Amino acid sequence: MNPSRAPRSCRSTRRSSGQRYPHQESLLLGNLDDSFDGDEVGDKSDPEQIFQNIQFQKELMANIRCRPWPLRQKLRALRRAKEAVLACEGRLTRTRGYQAAGAELWRKLVRLACNFVVIFIPWEMRIKKIESHFGSGVASYFIFLRWLFGINIVLTVMTGAFIVIPELIAGQPFGSTASKTIPREHAASAQDLDTIWSLGGYLQYSVLFYGYYGRERRIGKAGYRLPLAYFLVGMAVFAYSFIILLKKMAKNSRTSLATASSDSYTFCWRVFCAWDYLIGSPEAAESKAAAVINGIREAILEELEKKRSKNLAVTICLRVLANILVLLSLAGSIYLIYFVVDRSQRLEQSKRELSLWEKNEVSVVVSLVTMMAPSAFDLIAALEMYHPRTTLRFQLARVLVLYLGNLYSLIIALLDKVNSMSPVEAATRDNTSQWVGPTVLFATRPAPEEEKRPTPRPAMAVRINSTWALEEASIPTFTSPLPEANGTTSYNQFPQDPCWETYVGQEMLKLSIIDMLFTVASVLLIDFFRGLFVRYLSDYWCWDLENKFPEYGEFKIAENVLHLVYNQGMIWMGAFFSPCLPAVNVLKLVGLMYLRSWAVLTCNVPHQQVFRASRSNNFYLAMLLFMLFLCMLPTIFAIVRYKPSLNCGPFSGQEKMYDIVSETIETDFPRWFGSVTGYISSPVVVLPVMLLLLMLIYYLQSIARSLRLSNHQLKRQIQNARSEDKKKVAQMVEAQVQPQEDGSKGLAKDRGLVSQQCLVLSATPQSNGHVISRDSPSHRSRRAETAVSPTPQRPMAHSPSSALPSIATSWPEPDPTRYPPGQRASPGCLHKGRCCPPQTLKRPLEDVRWGPLFGDVQPVSPLPQPSLLGRRAQGPRCYFVGEGATYGRAAPVLWAGRDGDVVETHPENPRQPVPWAPCRPGCPCSTPDPPQAPGVHAGDRRGRHGSAPEAPRGVRRVPDREGLAGWRTGPGMVYRKLCPQPQAPRRQPRLEPALTESQSMSVAARGDLQTGSAGRYLQALHSQDWLPGARGQLGRGTAGPGRR
Amino acid sequence: MSPRAEGSHSGLFYRYQDLAPQLVPLDYTNRPDVKVPYELISSMPELKDNPFRRRIAQVFSENGDGHLSLDNFLDMFSVMSEMAPGDLKACYAFRIYDFNGDEYICARDLGQTLRGLTRGELSADEVRLVCEKVLAEADRDHDGRLSLEDFQNMILRAPDFLSTFHIRI
Repeated sequence: MNPSRAPRSCRSTRRSSGQRYPHQESLLLGNLDDSFDGDEVGDKSDPEQIFQNIQFQKELMANIRCRPWPLRQKLRALRRAKEAVLACEGRLTRTRGYQAAGAELWRKLVRLACNFVVIFIPWEMRIKKIESHFGSGVASYFIFLRWLFGINIVLTVMTGAFIVIPELIAGQPFGSTASKTIPREHAASAQDLDTIWSLGGYLQYSVLFYGYYGRERRIGKAGYRLPLAYFLVGMAVFAYSFIILLKKMAKNSRTSLATASSDSYTFCWRVFCAWDYLIGSPEAAESKAAAVINGIREAILEELEKKRSKNLAVTICLRVLANILVLLSLAGSIYLIYFVVDRSQRLEQSKRELSLWEKNEVSVVVSLVTMMAPSAFDLIAALEMYHPRTTLRFQLARVLVLYLGNLYSLIIALLDKVNSMSPVEAATRDNTSQWVGPTVLFATRPAPEEEKRPTPRPAMAVRINSTWALEEASIPTFTSPLPEANGTTSYNQFPQDPCWETYVGQEMLKLSIIDMLFTVASVLLIDFFRGLFVRYLSDYWCWDLENKFPEYGEFKIAENVLHLVYNQGMIWMGAFFSPCLPAVNVLKLVGLMYLRSWAVLTCNVPHQQVFRASRSNNFYLAMLLFMLFLCMLPTIFAIVRYKPSLNCGPFSGQEKMYDIVSETIETDFPRWFGSVTGYISSPVVVLPVMLLLLMLIYYLQSIARSLRLSNHQLKRQIQNARSEDKKKVAQMVEAQVQPQEDGSKGLAKDRGLVSQQCLVLSATPQSNGHVISRDSPSHRSRRAETAVSPTPQRPMAHSPSSALPSIATSWPEPDPTRYPPGQRASPGCLHKGRCCPPQTLKRPLEDVRWGPLFGDVQPVSPLPQPSLLGRRAQGPRCYFVGEGATYGRAAPVLWAGRDGDVVETHPENPRQPVPWAPCRPGCPCSTPDPPQAPGVHAGDRRGRHGSAPEAPRGVRRVPDREGLAGWRTGPGMVYRKLCPQPQAPRRQPRLEPALTESQSMSVAARGDLQTGSAGRYLQALHSQDWLPGARGQLGRGTAGPGRR
Repeated sequence: MSPRAEGSHSGLFYRYQDLAPQLVPLDYTNRPDVKVPYELISSMPELKDNPFRRRIAQVFSENGDGHLSLDNFLDMFSVMSEMAPGDLKACYAFRIYDFNGDEYICARDLGQTLRGLTRGELSADEVRLVCEKVLAEADRDHDGRLSLEDFQNMILRAPDFLSTFHIRI
């Protein structure tokens, strides 16, 4: 079978049928046999049928993997199906046979190709090996690493193909221009190891960094626009990263859609999903078992002591203390980094030759902080005594903040340095303006720039002057080369002003490399040597090294993943200034992959608290996205805010880096294009587009919200329906057992079950005041259906006898199987004997929640009440739903008619019989009681209980103007009171689902057919359970069932 | 699906054959009725650390004794493979955790599962509490035990069920 196709196709088929396997198994086999035999015997003529049969068999063959059968059975079924297909296919045309053969061949080819492709997935075997030793948690780190590797490959290709290689091939060669030449005073030391090591010398003047790229608009014979490409690729790096990340996240969230649910199965998952079946080594099994025990104990504790309050004050103090400590250390690390950058800058200016340490101290310090601080946080977290999961979250958040703080303080310090560089540059310009230099650039520069930055300028100028003065006073390092340059007129002796972009790129690259070194060192020290020490010295040591103090190193998935995220953030931050950074990162990731996997396999044990991070987890990706966004900001800021260096890089001489785009548009595109882009970028267009986007976002957001809501409701409905089904079945059985005894007894028994009183007054507002028979074919069919359907409820009508012309309350109908209609007949006795004091008749109005009659309520013609359809089109009706206090109204009088129909009448007008429902002979309910038997059920139980009204709420009143106009109070009203819903326990807050969706749909459809012109019905709806999707706007209005 | 037809299964076949070279013939053309006893099956490195290895073998064996024929063996690793669909996995997981085989996971089954999982380190009270909790969470029809439907409903939502209910060979 085709492995790639089968799971997909089988899922759908199994979903529908795969619930009850023992039955299904036999059923399917039987089915198979039948169809097979039937085919043998039957139609040899009908090609359509043959074809269908073949299709069926093929489907079976495709899905056979998904059946929970033993292999032998599968083989048998498969062989049969194949035989059937072969036997039938011969009878079809030859082309079909060829098609089939071709399809088979194609499938095999595809499978071969799949197998072939797997070979080229890097490190697949390595990851699988790790997975089978340490479980999927650890493997997820490596999968993440591999995914990052893929991204970096693409970034490398982008920068390599569009920037680096064109520059190498067609750009000016090394040494031809000033920006590509090592200045004379550095030339001697340019090849020293420590210079190279700190990325100076030859490396500084190479394609690694921004400064090397030439500023010619076009290079080579083909006229490649390198500066433009540089800018666009720099932006494309971010764009690509964003797109790929979001795509991946969307995919993940799509696959994990099913798993993301509000249901909590903590214990279930801890028990049934705890074991990682991949584990194949005793140590891993050991630690996994320990982790499982820990997890379960934790869950138990959590459950038992949810409201633990012991030593609250101490805990809070400790937590506050811990947070203060964390904040302090964060601030300390940020200050440290800032200080180091500042110091290095001062050193650079004051000293001519820097030692190795001085050159690298920034990145070393940053890496040290990066390495140390998480451990410190770990220690601090021990103070807090949080739940381990919370601890882990706090730890992750803190480490992420730390990393971000590091990167940010670094880049801010660097940019600050840039700030102070450009004044130097300005000062040199002042100097150089007297002598001949690259005056083209300088001449144009000063005036506009001064104008453009009015506010920050003065302060800065002061600072500039001061620093400059200081510098001049102390050591004239800077000024000295300049006169020299002045003296020599050669082009090569271009004044070397510092190139801040290169500087930033250098720092980033340095940081990346040193970070790698520290990682190697930490893996070796913390994992490898410790492992060796523990392993070989434990026999001679005085305590148990393996279990007590040093133990073996743990593989901390979460922190390692965070480190990867941090690393990638560094790359994004520096990629614009150092185009080869992604390439370096690719190398780094490869190294990391081998190093880590080696370390994991040789000297690590899995982390005790396994961080739940399966492949479908978006957590890492969310962090990465966050990082990407935050790392993009400084780069974009630098691009937008700072003026590119004067003498180096592709944008030298421009006011801003992005000017290259507008320049290209102006010069190299046709004129109309420039004007079009001008219009497009004008506020006239941009603002509406922004607005439109905002509206779109809002719209999608609201759609998502409503979808979530309906999703939630559907879920609840399913849940309800499911439990209702079960209950119904149980109750049906019970009802059969229960003898049809005296009604009062039965009622008393049922009391506990009563959930709602269904009081239905079906008003018949004909002028003659006669009650109209509700019996109708449709009604019959409806009843018959109710008896079968699991949720046989039907809204009923009720109208209080009040000043208002007519009110009908729609309520769920009682289950007819449960309460034989005959029992409901109780002329008169209802009021007197048992339940309702007569004055309750007058009660409804204050309780019924009336909206403004014609405002709140709306006519609903297209969806008439199913149960009220029938032939009652003669008169307008209103069905209203009262809010609760409908109990205790007039009780209907019902008795069983001769023919088995239930007859109900109003007590005041007992002569108008209302045939109610036909009794189905098979049902327990159908035995009609003799009319003499007082219909106990009709009595108002609610009244007896004297409890709070809990009639169905959330029901919708929908009056019809015409109908109301035509109504009268009078003898023509029949109060029909229906028995309570027997199943649901009292006080259950929500209504039973009135109908399942499909049922109500079909009912509604039928209603449409039957009412025809009689569109004057008013509709009462159950607000919630009744078709929440279709009529959400209705149901929301009056009352939700949940409100009490 | 037979070992001869599919090249990719031949590795599995040799693994099977290696378990008991004296028992299992290399030539399977006559479909010999050979079963490898459970003791050998459970010594496989893939299974030997699994607390549920006995149940796995029993579920896949024909009469519940844990002795596997080649077909059963292949069946087992096909269900536990990465390719197997979630429903199928859930179904077999249900059978594995259903220790007494009555098609429901009752409290006793749960207790056994827990004991296997934790190597008997939980106290009886803890086990009882966990059982109660599990039933309260997943038992939708409140009959005091988990049916297959309940179980599937619960397990297929678990974020890492598919990735952990999986044996690589």
